[in-house]
Amino acid sequence: MTALVAAVSLLAGCGSFGPPDPVTIQGRETHWLYYFVMIIAALVFVVVNGLIIFAVVRYKRKPTDTELPPQIHGNNVLEIIWTVIPTIIVVVMFVFSFNTLNSVDAVANTTDIRVRAVAAQFQWSFEYLSADGQKVLFQQLAPEMTIPAGKTVHLSLRSKDVIHAFYVPKFLFKRDVVPGRENVFEFTVDPADAGQTFSGQCAELCGLYHDSMLFTVKALSPADYDAWLAAQIVKANQSPPPAPSAQAGQVELDLTAKDLTFDKAALDAASADKPFTIKFQNNDPGTTHNVAIKDATGQEVFKGEIFNGVDNRIYPIPALKAGTYTYVCSVHAAMTGTLTVH
Amino acid sequence: MATTALTPAGTATKYGLYDWLTTTDHKKIGILYLVNSFVMFFIGGILALVVRVELAQPGLQFIKEATYNQAFTIHASLMIFLFIIPILAGFGNYIVPLQIGAPDMAFPRINAMSFWMLPLAGIMILTGFVTGGAAAAGWTSYAPLSEARYSGVGQDLWIVGVILIGTSSILGSINFLVTIFKMRAPGMTMFRMPIMVWTVLVTSTLVLMATPVLTSGLIMLFIDRNYGGHFFDPASGGNAILWQNVFWFYSHPAVYIMVLPAMGIVSEVLPVFSRKPLFGYKAFVFATAGIGALGFSVWAHHMFTTGAVYLPFFSFMTFLIAIPTGVKMFNWTATLYRGQLIFSTPLLYALGFLTMFLIGGINGAVSAAVPVDFALHDTYWVVAHLHYVLFGGSVFGVFAGVYYWFPKMFGRRLNETLGKIQFVVMFIGFNLTFFPMHVLGLEGMPRRIANYSPEAGWSDLNLLATIGGFTIAASMLPFLWNVFVTMRSGEPAGDDPWEGNTLEWATSSPPPPYNFDRLPEIRSERPVFDARHGLSGGGHG
Amino acid sequence: MTASTSALTTTHAPAEGHVREGGISNVILGMLLFITSEVMFFAGLFAAYFNVRATAPIWPPADFANKLHWLPTAAQPIPVVTIATILLVTSSATCQLGVWGIRNGNRTALVRNIGVTVLLGSIFLLLQAYDYTALYGDGVRLDAGTFGTTYFTLTGFHGAHVLGGVIMLSVVLYRAMAGQFSKEHHDMVEATSIYWHFVDVVWIVLFSTLYIIPNPV
Repeated sequence: MTALVAAVSLLAGCGSFGPPDPVTIQGRETHWLYYFVMIIAALVFVVVNGLIIFAVVRYKRKPTDTELPPQIHGNNVLEIIWTVIPTIIVVVMFVFSFNTLNSVDAVANTTDIRVRAVAAQFQWSFEYLSADGQKVLFQQLAPEMTIPAGKTVHLSLRSKDVIHAFYVPKFLFKRDVVPGRENVFEFTVDPADAGQTFSGQCAELCGLYHDSMLFTVKALSPADYDAWLAAQIVKANQSPPPAPSAQAGQVELDLTAKDLTFDKAALDAASADKPFTIKFQNNDPGTTHNVAIKDATGQEVFKGEIFNGVDNRIYPIPALKAGTYTYVCSVHAAMTGTLTVH
Repeated sequence: MATTALTPAGTATKYGLYDWLTTTDHKKIGILYLVNSFVMFFIGGILALVVRVELAQPGLQFIKEATYNQAFTIHASLMIFLFIIPILAGFGNYIVPLQIGAPDMAFPRINAMSFWMLPLAGIMILTGFVTGGAAAAGWTSYAPLSEARYSGVGQDLWIVGVILIGTSSILGSINFLVTIFKMRAPGMTMFRMPIMVWTVLVTSTLVLMATPVLTSGLIMLFIDRNYGGHFFDPASGGNAILWQNVFWFYSHPAVYIMVLPAMGIVSEVLPVFSRKPLFGYKAFVFATAGIGALGFSVWAHHMFTTGAVYLPFFSFMTFLIAIPTGVKMFNWTATLYRGQLIFSTPLLYALGFLTMFLIGGINGAVSAAVPVDFALHDTYWVVAHLHYVLFGGSVFGVFAGVYYWFPKMFGRRLNETLGKIQFVVMFIGFNLTFFPMHVLGLEGMPRRIANYSPEAGWSDLNLLATIGGFTIAASMLPFLWNVFVTMRSGEPAGDDPWEGNTLEWATSSPPPPYNFDRLPEIRSERPVFDARHGLSGGGHG
Repeated sequence: MTASTSALTTTHAPAEGHVREGGISNVILGMLLFITSEVMFFAGLFAAYFNVRATAPIWPPADFANKLHWLPTAAQPIPVVTIATILLVTSSATCQLGVWGIRNGNRTALVRNIGVTVLLGSIFLLLQAYDYTALYGDGVRLDAGTFGTTYFTLTGFHGAHVLGGVIMLSVVLYRAMAGQFSKEHHDMVEATSIYWHFVDVVWIVLFSTLYIIPNPV
């Protein structure tokens, strides 16, 4: 029965019973440790289950069993054997785990790349710090952390309200973000994974929209990262461009975000093949929102500036073909609606 | 089939409502515990189905996040505080005085009070659903999320409810300890007590020493929420992690409170249906005591990712606790060896316990490796682990106890065919629900999320788990039908339908109010076995 | 079929108060276990206190340092709580005298000593209440930072336990006056006195932690 269930579940498990391939150097150590302990665990499972299944099959009471079986009370030698051997096994597991921990958890604090992830209900933002960690060079309101591959990143974690957790499955790592405490860890993305984006998510129940607290980590080559960061700093120090004024005859739609919801689930733009605007009001104080538009295939056709409430922006939407689109907040994936252009 | 020459002085049980409401008889109180716990089990089970229905597919189809967060919070709270802990206390209540040859518990009126606090607490916690929202911060109620700023009145109802339950537990533990230490029949030395009694003894010690710490934490949270306190508020010098330390200092021993008596039940059932003694009685005693003691030293393994604990110590102690648990597994298996196994429903459930608890213990040991826990904490891997030990372990143990002791409690035997059907459907449903969660956790699906993206690739396994959940629910139908039919017209059981070993089988089914007219001589941990086979002397002194 | 010839017959024993030969009584064992659970309850509160104190820059916070209240007397101010401490310790002594009394069958000694104990316990509570009102008047409140929260929670729950003890002692006093205790049967007196000593010990630890350690004057 157990073997059958295991087989079915293995099939259901789509192949490997393991974590995703790691993209950080630390993640690779954890990956190795996982397989080390899992193989020992699987062996224990097979051996002990084997003994149970054997006993169950072999020692079923038969009609010829009229006398009691031998009334064995115990065996001290066996007790010693099956105490000592498991002790050795767990001590070995502990030693390897301890070594890996020292590697994974090490904070050398010598790197120049310092980022601070700020968690709040229900969004992530990222602050890029100077090499000494004292100044904020640029604040990224979108939930996207861009970092260089092949270099150690020193990430500090700060919460504005409740406990959150910074979790990237492909790092095989998470760390809690605790208010009143700044947790810190370092990671190095494998240079071979430059150009890739990894998804992340809050992993500590933080309230109503905990399930929407997503973020991404984008790894660039060191040169691309330097260029990107420099460009962001320049843009941050520029004065913002003037808000586009509505043109005569242009369609202007109104949309408001309050309590992490759009006030309208559907928008209608009689503006096919013509640009139009969305006047977007963010009424959630201290919470960042935006409006992004995706077409029917999921391709993003517009992404508005992410900004803090309470504030508003007039988004210039480019000309779109007639059809059905989805609008969404880039920070809170649960905030969506349908846009019909005709 | 052994029957004793006992004639009860009067009818063994009376069924008046007034009698049930005012009884101080440990047997009736034990049955009250069982009934209340099963009611909570079914309510908690429905909440689980609400969760599973919503998770079956990506997108929020049926309920919104607010309802979802309340559903999993109250599901866990009911299952832990109002089902598994009390039902094991209920079995203890019914069985321990019988197994030690005592006429009742040491403090029968406090015993009754302990029970009646539970339905009251359940109502308080559930009232949150109609007063603007039940508690929704998880059964772990982490601060600051559980503080007044982020959680409403349902959280206060939850706090008071859990304090009531804790008080009920503590009073019960005092009762069990005094009963076990002071009221054993002559000849029953400590090392002749059934292992069930030993597990209740160790469990009661854990309850006595750990639960008050939770009470102190709950009171601190209540003060923070309602009287302007600052225990857990970082902005005014309080400490969010303090809550976790106080909470887990109780809640880790709590998991042993939730499993040790179930292990006691398994230790009763295996010898009877193998027709040989439990292998390694003394090893069981020391292993149980060892688990109890070590259980106080591992609490921070729930907090590895906080960055605020001394990782090597807690990792080491967590690995260590696998050893006494393993000793028990081997001793149980050795009990089966060279036995003559009778595959009754109780034995099937006990075997289910062995195999499923093994998986739960193994995936827990994997998490003891701290870096691995950094990846798996707060994911569905943990949900898999906890259900394998608490459902695959404790609940299977509970059903073993139900089928084993139902004849003693009600004088009738549950139907074996229906029992076996329930076992098979439950076993399949259970594994279908929770085994895929290992993979979901490894793939990165966090816990406590109402919704997930279709691109995550978690949809198929979630659907499978939901089908499994409904399969478990379906398995309750043959069980309920079995109970209903048996209570009405089941086959009478007699004193000792299973050829048992321990003293509860030395009296009628059900027993008279004062339990025993006469006791057999107690010379070993199997007095009824000895009496049946005309043995005297020998056994364990 | 059972070994009825060699069965040890248990007589139809009443459910309550069934005692093994020798050894501690059920009621006293129950009280000792209950006290164990209460020790763990206070342990949780003390753990919170020490945890919060460890991360505070100064303790007690500057504005509270000199506000732990003093009774003005001619010579020099005496802290109210010192008087309360002396009274409580004395009440433990009188309580024990009462216990020794009834162990010798001396009902008069029991009544007198328990009476004095109830009186001293009640005065302790009154002094505690006075102290609280004075502190609140000075801005040292439950909601005033972590110091206020931990101070009032710890002393408040201790006070609640003192109140519980005073009630139990009053019941003992009533029953003693009604002649319900004797040399052979006075378990409740013993159990209550153990509880009262526990309350006293907790106070000594609390007093030292809250008053002496931060202010070693």
